[in-house]
Amino acid sequence: MKKGVVVFIVAALVLITTGIWFFSSTESFKPFEFVGFGIIILVVAFAVFIGFKRLSSAKRGEPPEDELSKKVMQKTASLSYYVSLYLWLAIMYFSDRINYETHTIIGAGILGMAVIFAVCWLFFNFRGVRNE
Amino acid sequence: MNNRIKEYRARFNLTQEDLAKKVNVRRETIVFLEKNKYNPSLKLAHDIASVFGTRIEEIFIFE
Repeated sequence: MKKGVVVFIVAALVLITTGIWFFSSTESFKPFEFVGFGIIILVVAFAVFIGFKRLSSAKRGEPPEDELSKKVMQKTASLSYYVSLYLWLAIMYFSDRINYETHTIIGAGILGMAVIFAVCWLFFNFRGVRNE
Repeated sequence: MNNRIKEYRARFNLTQEDLAKKVNVRRETIVFLEKNKYNPSLKLAHDIASVFGTRIEEIFIFE
């Protein structure tokens, strides 16, 4: 229960900070600067989703985490790490051929990793973990 | 590996939520078990068998 509340508080703080940053900025944003917002929104949305699941489990009197959810997280972490290696290889290969600033490329890489993690989590969460 | 959790649950008139609470897992885990999308740990298999007052091999069928 406590973990779920902490996740919600952290997510809310990140959202508020992002909102203040977004609305107080007087400069116009370039398209690739939205990569930063993409990362924040994706990570916060995922955290809120996980927090919501934990809270609803706690409300039903169930443990917020059990052996299945831990196994799904382990599998997700290992597969997303493995796939991310190929993402960074691709980024390294294409970095010479495209003209973007280094921080933009790194931002895109981090966003890619977040997307890969979310996709892997969805894959294992719906497919299940059979250990076969 | 197949299992007869759904059959035993109906026999004991337990909902997925009731069984989840008894073995201290989330309802989602029971759903995955019944759909054969997850093979439980030995401890969880033992706990489920204990709830139904039977042996593990009566509930879980190894093929």
